[in-house]
Amino acid sequence: MNKPDLLDKYADTAVSFESVTVEREGILILDNVTAMVPRGGCTAIIGPNGAGKTTMLLALLGEIQYKGFIHATCNINGRCSRIGYVPQRLTFDRGMPVTVTEFLAMGIQKKPLWFGVRNDMQKRSLAHLASVKSEHLAKRKLGALSGGEMQRVLLALALQQEPELLVLDEPASGVDFQGEYIFCELLDGLRKEKGFTQLMVSHDLATVTHHATHVICLNHKVAAQGPPRQALTNENLTAIFGMHMGMVDSRSMPDGSAICSGPCCSKDQDA
Amino acid sequence: MPDLSTIYQIISYILPFECLKAGFMQQAMIGLILLAPMAAVMGVQVVNFRMAFFSDAISHSAFAGVALGLIFSVSPHWTMPLFGLLVGLAIMAVQRKSTLSSDTVIGVFFSAVIAFGLAVVSRDRSVARDMQRFLYGDILTISNNDILFLLILFIALLIFQILSYNRLLYIGINPTLAKAHSIRVATYQYYFAGLLSLIVMFSVWAVGVLLVTAMLIVPAAAARNFARSAGAMFWWALLVSLTSAITGLIISAQDWANTATGATIILVACLWFMISVIFSFIRRDSVS
Repeated sequence: MNKPDLLDKYADTAVSFESVTVEREGILILDNVTAMVPRGGCTAIIGPNGAGKTTMLLALLGEIQYKGFIHATCNINGRCSRIGYVPQRLTFDRGMPVTVTEFLAMGIQKKPLWFGVRNDMQKRSLAHLASVKSEHLAKRKLGALSGGEMQRVLLALALQQEPELLVLDEPASGVDFQGEYIFCELLDGLRKEKGFTQLMVSHDLATVTHHATHVICLNHKVAAQGPPRQALTNENLTAIFGMHMGMVDSRSMPDGSAICSGPCCSKDQDA
Repeated sequence: MPDLSTIYQIISYILPFECLKAGFMQQAMIGLILLAPMAAVMGVQVVNFRMAFFSDAISHSAFAGVALGLIFSVSPHWTMPLFGLLVGLAIMAVQRKSTLSSDTVIGVFFSAVIAFGLAVVSRDRSVARDMQRFLYGDILTISNNDILFLLILFIALLIFQILSYNRLLYIGINPTLAKAHSIRVATYQYYFAGLLSLIVMFSVWAVGVLLVTAMLIVPAAAARNFARSAGAMFWWALLVSLTSAITGLIISAQDWANTATGATIILVACLWFMISVIFSFIRRDSVS
């Protein structure tokens, strides 16, 4: 397929997975997954533990080998030159003396950090921290941050890439319900302001129903995909999660009465 | 022979100790002043990357490197660093490709290089005695050519660190994150492994196999306790390693001490580490 055809085909698509298969030591983690991520929206990959959600993100980031095709076409030129990535839980050595400002600078500043963080770099980091409402964390040590604070710093780091595609792995893990709600509101606002495409993994249905514009239900295979109200039916949820999910479903999706202020939730969504 | 007499004069001017009047002591001092900061700075990253075992394996490949020199009758000055470099890059390559955990991969290489070294040495009893110097190290026999090579290595390392200190820190925090944010992780890792191997081999020369890991790790570990930022960690590691090297060398030459130089240097560094532990405890108390 030549480039104009590709562009035509993926006019509204930021990422498309085509027959993606990942096999590790004889176990099929992703089985012929074909799914698309609409441009400019918030797409959630949901599924039970071990369904291959994170694997799908890692395949997109080029971290693991896969069979099939992944076309990332975030912008009108048909490319994704800048991807921001917010990992699930950053496993790192908490004893390492690194300040939040240094952490934000170390990927982009050329001058070695022994001579300190450059002034303009400090201002930039502070601005990015402000956009995630965390200016107060700038001088703190990275190892001393709480789960929620770390998540915001990681988001600031990803935003620093000025991403066209923002990939988040379980943004809700390790944060209480309130914190998670605020974090998702923050993301909704940022997406509206900066116009990136958001792709996140979640196993929390409440988050998905409130904030996603597009859902991919995954359990090794794609069980369903589409807008939340179409994809998250009782049958689909039972199919991927097994039993009990009807209960969660009825709790988190009371017909049309869910409290949601995210731009994606309005009825006449065009995102 | 390169002429380094000006540097020796400067040294004896700055450090007017009786023991530094001897030529070999001046050479040892220069060698250490070049080697200690290199080991310390690489050590900062060795600690961040949890690569202490890696550097241990490289240092133990010194035996095999010397053994190779004996087999092909080439000077061990050449075979040792080259073999170390080869082992370092090989470990990194296998580690990246293999699903085995990195300590297992290193463990296999570790055993292989030691066994090879011992096998060659065991054929010839007279060589076994020579091997002792690699166990304990002998900075006092360092030659002007060695110093010249250290100087070249020092400049290479300086350039490498200026270009990649920040990125290496990033990779040390989380390689997946660094890669997603367009850092060429593999390239940095190979360069780092290569340079580290060379520096480890030269540290073997100075302080011996047994203490080479200490020379890398101890200043960096102390620096971690003292520093509050990644920038400060660098300077603390330099301070600890340089002061340890200089005082260690001078103490070892005193009549009342008369100890092995390498061991004395490490002991001074460990003293620094103990102070840093106490310091970090006090700070934690005052914060909470």
